[in-house]
Amino acid sequence: MELDFSVIFDYKAALLFGLLLTLKLTAICVVLGCALGFLVAIARSSKNKILYGVSTVYVALFRGTPVLIQLFWMFFCLPLVLGIELSNLTCGVIALTLYMAAITSETFRASFSFVSKEQHDAGIALGLTYRVHTLYVLLPQAMLRAAPTLLSNCTSLFKESALVSAVGMADLMFVSQNISNRTGHPVELLTAAAVIYFVIAFPITRAVTALERKILHTMAI
Amino acid sequence: MNYQFDLFFIANGLWPLLKGLVVTLELTVAANIIGLTLGFVIALLVMNPNPILRWPFTLFIEFFRCTPALVQIVWFFYCIPIIFDVYIDALTMGILAIGLNLAAFNAEAYRAAIQGVQSNQYDATVALGLSPFQRTVYVVLPQAFRSALPVLVANGIGAFQQTALVAIVALQDLMYMGKILATDTYRPIEVFTVIALIYFAISFPISQLVEYIERRRKAENS
Repeated sequence: MELDFSVIFDYKAALLFGLLLTLKLTAICVVLGCALGFLVAIARSSKNKILYGVSTVYVALFRGTPVLIQLFWMFFCLPLVLGIELSNLTCGVIALTLYMAAITSETFRASFSFVSKEQHDAGIALGLTYRVHTLYVLLPQAMLRAAPTLLSNCTSLFKESALVSAVGMADLMFVSQNISNRTGHPVELLTAAAVIYFVIAFPITRAVTALERKILHTMAI
Repeated sequence: MNYQFDLFFIANGLWPLLKGLVVTLELTVAANIIGLTLGFVIALLVMNPNPILRWPFTLFIEFFRCTPALVQIVWFFYCIPIIFDVYIDALTMGILAIGLNLAAFNAEAYRAAIQGVQSNQYDATVALGLSPFQRTVYVVLPQAFRSALPVLVANGIGAFQQTALVAIVALQDLMYMGKILATDTYRPIEVFTVIALIYFAISFPISQLVEYIERRRKAENS
């Protein structure tokens, strides 16, 4: 067996292109997923039975099925159900956003329980409306408390984004697999892809640990 | 929406789907056996004061946790035969990839649990004159296993869901069979929905069980 790692540098433009799509997809879905996740978390603590029921079923379904099948469903079934054409990127964004929102809603829900009951009473005493209370009292504290887990959810999403290669989106995984099939250097290219994913995800997991320590000890919440 | 639902296709393709489900369950059970046993050993090695033992396994854990499972599986399928010049059948390879991935995640769960075993328990083992092996197997393992159980089960469900990835390397699990059936019958909605529900029907009750255990523990502790 002879390894020739120079093939990675021959195709660095293509790999970079793939990496950019991976990062773009992750960034879009992190933002949309966190926003939706927060709303879902609120819906799950709502007294309205319909809101509670729908959001609970949604979270259970998306956490209880493989992301791959969610992705396939969005690619092959959603256009049929809606009766419209959807671009690859749209389908990918929808699938990963819904997945991200499902897992972050659980994170937010756990963090809500740390915002004490007195704060809620204080909000009422001060005459804050529900919207003001949610946005300016609940959200900032929940965000702070949830920050480490949210960040590790981002790493999960970043890793799950590799699945879009299975439906033919040209992300880092797809590009490196394609090049390795074409050049016959799977060991070099797949290892390179793994190392690139690692180099990005590893510092984030370290940051999670550091953040946990800082938030739990320095801020004492 | 002009789409006529027709579950006839599912009924027709039930047998291949069942065969696929068996492969999925085989993968899950075997990967969990590897994950539960190897994970504990790795946790012990990572906590070893000797850096020569500790570093390779720390790296092992970090690498499996910080790269996509899909990359790991594809890497195993393409690269292991080339690097080691061996032929391993697809099922074993899938078990190996998912099992090692799970072992890395379980090792973290065990590590946190082992750190939670109180120091007076260690003092007691010394006082009782237990050997390090006895101490590990009879004192640390049962307690660590008990307190890590919710996370271990959650990781196990995660592994169950990860097994769908082997469909990409053409191992004939539930996901793969579903993909074939959907393409053959042009009935993606029925097929993919039914498959999703099968996965859900298996992982949901187990995840509820975990929540139940956790709730009961909290009630016990308070």
